[in-house]
Amino acid sequence: MTAAAPEPKANMGTPVPRYDAAAKVTGRATYAADMPLDNPAYAFLVTSAIAKGRIDRFDLDDARRVRGVIEIVTHENAPKLKESKLFSNGGYAGTTIQPLKSVEIAHDGQIIAVIVAESYEAAREAANRVKVSCTVSAPSATFDSPGATTAAAKGQNAQFKEDPKVGDFAKAFEEAEVKLTAAYDTPAQHHNPMELFTTSCAWMGDNLVIYEGSQYVYGLKNGVAEQLGIDADKVRVVNPYVGGGFGSRGSMTPRTAIIAAIAKRLNRPIKLVPTRDQGFTITTYRAETRHEIRLGASRDGRLVALRHAGFEVSSRPDAYCVGGTKTTTRLYACPNVDSLVSIVRADRNTPGFMRSPPEVPYLFALESALDELAVKLDMDPIELRRINDATNEPIDGKPYTSRSLMACFDEAAKAFGWSQRSPQPKSMSDGDWLIGYGCAATCYPTQMAPCAARVRLQRDGRTRVEIAGHEIGTGAYTIIAQTAAERLGVPLEKVAVFIGDSDLPPAPVAGGSNSTASTCSAVMMVCDQIRQRLLKAVMPSDSLADKAKETVGISPAPSTQAAKSDRPLDIEKAFDALGVGIVEEYGEWKPDGAPMDSFTAMHRGQPRFVGGHQMKDKIAYAFGAEFVEVRINRFTHEIRCPRLVGAFAAGRIMNSRTARSQLMGGLIWGMSSALLEATEIDERYARYVNDNLADYLVPVNADVPGVEVIMLSEQDDHINPAGAKGLGELGNVGTNAAICNAIYHATGQRIRRLPVRLENIEV
Amino acid sequence: MPDKPGSRTSAFDRRAFLAGAAGSALVPMTARAAAQEASAPAARDPSLPVEVTLRVNGKDNRLSIDARTTVLDALREHLKLTGSKKGCDHGQCGACTVLIDDRRVVSCLTLALAAEGQEITTIEGLATDDRLHPMQQAFIDNDAFQCGYCTPGQIMSAVACVKEGHANSEAEIREYMSGNICRCAAYPNIVAAVKQAAPEIVKG
Repeated sequence: MTAAAPEPKANMGTPVPRYDAAAKVTGRATYAADMPLDNPAYAFLVTSAIAKGRIDRFDLDDARRVRGVIEIVTHENAPKLKESKLFSNGGYAGTTIQPLKSVEIAHDGQIIAVIVAESYEAAREAANRVKVSCTVSAPSATFDSPGATTAAAKGQNAQFKEDPKVGDFAKAFEEAEVKLTAAYDTPAQHHNPMELFTTSCAWMGDNLVIYEGSQYVYGLKNGVAEQLGIDADKVRVVNPYVGGGFGSRGSMTPRTAIIAAIAKRLNRPIKLVPTRDQGFTITTYRAETRHEIRLGASRDGRLVALRHAGFEVSSRPDAYCVGGTKTTTRLYACPNVDSLVSIVRADRNTPGFMRSPPEVPYLFALESALDELAVKLDMDPIELRRINDATNEPIDGKPYTSRSLMACFDEAAKAFGWSQRSPQPKSMSDGDWLIGYGCAATCYPTQMAPCAARVRLQRDGRTRVEIAGHEIGTGAYTIIAQTAAERLGVPLEKVAVFIGDSDLPPAPVAGGSNSTASTCSAVMMVCDQIRQRLLKAVMPSDSLADKAKETVGISPAPSTQAAKSDRPLDIEKAFDALGVGIVEEYGEWKPDGAPMDSFTAMHRGQPRFVGGHQMKDKIAYAFGAEFVEVRINRFTHEIRCPRLVGAFAAGRIMNSRTARSQLMGGLIWGMSSALLEATEIDERYARYVNDNLADYLVPVNADVPGVEVIMLSEQDDHINPAGAKGLGELGNVGTNAAICNAIYHATGQRIRRLPVRLENIEV
Repeated sequence: MPDKPGSRTSAFDRRAFLAGAAGSALVPMTARAAAQEASAPAARDPSLPVEVTLRVNGKDNRLSIDARTTVLDALREHLKLTGSKKGCDHGQCGACTVLIDDRRVVSCLTLALAAEGQEITTIEGLATDDRLHPMQQAFIDNDAFQCGYCTPGQIMSAVACVKEGHANSEAEIREYMSGNICRCAAYPNIVAAVKQAAPEIVKG
């Protein structure tokens, strides 16, 4: 075992190397733009240089003169596309701003023309020669901009049902012995996955193949079919590998149907490779947020009142919001809670999911405020959380299915050396460096969605698993293979996994950290169907068949690891008894409490999520605790973060290697979010300033400190058959607050606005 | 990116390039191609394709391409070697890193014409006889990637990092591997992989 492949504890799968490892280190892994096309034409986008206004006129003469230009598409000659509703309103789209439809410009960087040419170079040159005259209107850029409007999220966004509240906050806060009121800000951020937002489209008669990095091939397939007005069965989305998602590829963007329609018109495959800067405006992003937190506590540290008001920016037409109060109002025991989420509309592209969409901004606020409260109470911040730890969430009183928050704090504190911390701010230093220790809780809801799978077993044990899941770097191939091998009792190397193709049985969006729980639960169920058939063949009598049913745990609902393949199965004998060459099963799994229309919605590309606080009589979250050491140079104010330690508990860990890597990447994402990342907005023009990888700061290797990931053993039989809580978004939630708390400890300065840069330090 | 003293034999030698540029006013990077056409009586239409031979992974490839084609696009769009990745097209991310005459370069900022006559090594050329290069194996062993998109560039950069003599400590590896962004943030595992493979590569 190495650091990368930690020894599995109880209820953890073995750290086998990634299924796709050899393909990825040899360059054989084919991402969307790597897919071979027969004589493709190349598309290049022209995007708007203004954020609001109207296109008066295009002058395309210069562009047309470029050798190799085939077609220039603007709103004047664009293919007519049907509208798609926002995903949260029952559609597929991440934005309802449909480019090339009219002269209207709704945001900076909106697609206003598409050049198609024989070569990438010609298309790019022609794009640079497009001249456009616009009538410019003054845009509203963000919070406080003239013309930006603010309204409560409830009633605007179908997925935001309620502002959680309980008890009498106003009275309790008024009477509280210790009070805190504080405001926090988080910036706009862009996912910037390494793979660009490419799209290739090829038609074979009436059938369309789309190669595009997607976190939801069924959503994209159905969404593009809807926009093109064709049968969804005629559209196939293929992406066996995705070069990072982080939420950016979860919902359909307008580019795909546009490229598909132009390919149809030209009767030729088209390859679009947008630039990095175009990626900032043709997809989604994490919008900037503001928070006001009020905490009231008794002298001994018990929370008596909590209010969280959140404000989030969205576009003019779309009421996107993340509404993280669903989590922050339920995390700690507090009898009087109030909350309000508001959406601020500005002239921006529509924001969308980015890794832990609600939890990152909202927990930054809450976990910072708790640290401030601990200071007011003169109490250790871990002890403050222990006093307010909850077995039931306070809003509806539902019990957590499992909650290892304090166990995580204790493990991480021990590994970090928290006991070495002297509590007074500015009390620790090393030469020119002020040292600060800080910590915060992290959590993420456990979610599941309906999912199908097909499994085919051969007499020699060779197994093929088909499921339209997504490999965005999480280890989906690997854990699906492990699940099938374990469940069928076949060697891992005999299992082949096919994912990333909408012709395979549907899986939900690879978002909300649901994939492991959903896909593995479906694969387990279908493998059990196979075992049942085989066992019936070798035990034909009814009583034995019933016994087999029990043994393999088919019905009513297989309970976690108890239903593991505990009965050896002689596959060859069973095949001989059945007299067949292949046993193949298809099955559709849905979590407890999923609505009636779950499976039809699943095939339509609309996931019906179950989990988090929305379960009937329980609430399911994964938890962790994150500790950081910061060092701040007392002269230059340079901020370094030499140590990140996180302890996490997330139910069954399917593979301790891939899980550790995700949590490690999450911790580094959190550090990046706290200290580096922000999309700078020019408020005069509502434009993004730093739209490239040199100016939008992300960590490089030299920025990354020692990272220690501790995974706690946790078993939870109340969530899903796989027993897994998602952890892809667990790692980067608490880090923002932990770092600001450490900066306070180092300097005595409380910073409530991210990211923290050296110019913000006033030692 | 620094390299060993005395190892600058490629056309990318900045001193040689500047000396040449100073001597003959502004010599464009397409000088080699322009020279071929110098005998043409009329001004050549710059948008016409040019002929170039690229030596990639030990094999010569004759191409007729737009003069503005980068090494990256020549590999990906014309030679179907898609292992090298486009992440920014601006030399900011390192996903397109290849070796040219054993130096690591960002192939998105290198014109194909400027690489004529030089030995280009890509991720596809690293394994020999179906045996993985030690760096490839080390990346697998240490889980030094997640989505895998930056991985070909990381591995090519890592091989050069070791050969440059810049893999002597974790801190040095971190510094000299900082031209390659990994958004999944597998950085600690990348450092572990380079550390593992370095002795084997140095040994040869």
